[in-house]
Amino acid sequence: MLNVREILKTFNLGTINQKIALNKLSLELFPNDFVTVIGSNGAGKSTLLNAIAGNFFVDSGKIAIENADITRLPAHKRADMISRVFQDPLSGTAASMTIEENLIMAYRRGKTRRLRPAIGTKERDLFRVKLEKLGLGLENRLTHRVSLLSGGQRQALTLLMATLQKPKLLLLDEHTAALDPKTAEKVLELTCNVTEQEHLTTLMITHNLDHALTFGNRTIMMHEGRVILDIKGTERNNMTISNLLEMFEKASGAHMNTDRMILA
Amino acid sequence: MFSQIALGTMEQGLMYAIMVLGVYLTYRILDYADLSVDGSFTLGAATATSMIVGGTDPWLATGMAFIAGTLAGLFTGILHTKFKITPLLSGILTMTALYSINLRVMGRANISLLGSRTVFTDFAKFPFMEEYGVFVLCLISVVCLGAVIYFFLQTELGLALRATGDNELMIRSLGVNTDLMKILGLSLSNGLVAFAGSYVAQKLQFADASMGIGMIIAGLASVIIGEVLIGTSSIGRAIFAVICGGVIYRAIIAVVLQLGLEATDLKLITAFIVIIALVSPNIRRSLSSLLKGIQGKEAQ
Repeated sequence: MLNVREILKTFNLGTINQKIALNKLSLELFPNDFVTVIGSNGAGKSTLLNAIAGNFFVDSGKIAIENADITRLPAHKRADMISRVFQDPLSGTAASMTIEENLIMAYRRGKTRRLRPAIGTKERDLFRVKLEKLGLGLENRLTHRVSLLSGGQRQALTLLMATLQKPKLLLLDEHTAALDPKTAEKVLELTCNVTEQEHLTTLMITHNLDHALTFGNRTIMMHEGRVILDIKGTERNNMTISNLLEMFEKASGAHMNTDRMILA
Repeated sequence: MFSQIALGTMEQGLMYAIMVLGVYLTYRILDYADLSVDGSFTLGAATATSMIVGGTDPWLATGMAFIAGTLAGLFTGILHTKFKITPLLSGILTMTALYSINLRVMGRANISLLGSRTVFTDFAKFPFMEEYGVFVLCLISVVCLGAVIYFFLQTELGLALRATGDNELMIRSLGVNTDLMKILGLSLSNGLVAFAGSYVAQKLQFADASMGIGMIIAGLASVIIGEVLIGTSSIGRAIFAVICGGVIYRAIIAVVLQLGLEATDLKLITAFIVIIALVSPNIRRSLSSLLKGIQGKEAQ
């Protein structure tokens, strides 16, 4: 499904701040995989997602989706295959535009934008049905500006936008980290529902080790731009948080930022 | 006397409102302060007048002015998106280059259209249009262009353009080439500005290489005045607001001139209007918090 082969990305090459963010990282995702990604700050988790989404080109290596090489494809041309939810609830929606306008833009993800009226009755009805499922009462506020919504509502809307047009790959970059615990649970629940119903292949970054082991079917741990742990099946089922921390210390020879990992 | 001045102000206001619509597209929709406006306004005037003097039909010449403006916007857009030059500098570069181009187009520093056929002399031949022809033609033009922009901003392409100004990262992740959107917005905007320039030159029967100086500031002032007075709760309302802003701005200038200030002081006044408009939200906020403080003390 997704095939990442030995990608290398160095930031600030040749300066004193030179940093290898992705160190010949390889990763393969299979159809319907829901992979949770953990790792300390600066491990390269977000950089990996940015590389897959095409925010920058990798220095070397190859990225392919369903055997199509996308390594040199700019971000906007990958949009028909990949959709994404960011950590910051503000970055996934256009605040000055209405809920229905945001939804229609997502509905046309990866398609050519034409000179025709954007929203019709058919689309509006579809949006109402989809918004009703969120259970936030947004179905009656189609023409409200998104800037009027709370962070949790905006993130739920962003998640709906990301899955409105089924993507081949869904990238979630700590999408619940900026929300209060109750809203975060709600958004996570929505995430699980939609990935199951639509059989989405998903890559989710999280700082919550409990979530990392309970959600999805596979967990990878990153450190210094590499995957240092990749578990699934019974091995994953038998894994505990303390085991995970132990394995991290063994594999990396370093102490993980445990406070944040446990408290998150 | 008074009605003459009022009519003249309305005519001018409506012509400049077309330019303000262009400024609105970049400044508000794309969130891009485009200084090429100063050059493209003159470019429109230069293109139309030199073509009319050369014997071209004035309606066609006006259309060509629009196209010349879009090319200027295209140039600014390419400087910004392809060569990664900052928005302000891209605009200044285009504006500077256009100064020479405008002189080339005109062949000299100014052109007179006295006695030539213009869109306004043509339009005045319609029944009942002798006296109010300029006003009616300008009104029709503004309403039509405003409506076209309104409907355009509701299309798929229009939404993509608005999202580019609002949240570029997001709309790119939804598959829109934001570079192309910026170029499109800048072209349209400068096309409208040049169109307004050609109208103004035909009304004044005169084009001058320096007639566009300060146009961007006048445009910004109009946008802000309109938004403050009328509001921006929807796209339709915002478009109506900036058109009114253009007319009101001209009215303010006319009043100031009637009060006895020199025409040469206009730029200074314009700059002050923009400063007041930009600063007033802050002042209002601190004033209202000050008032609350006083009320709080009284309550105690």
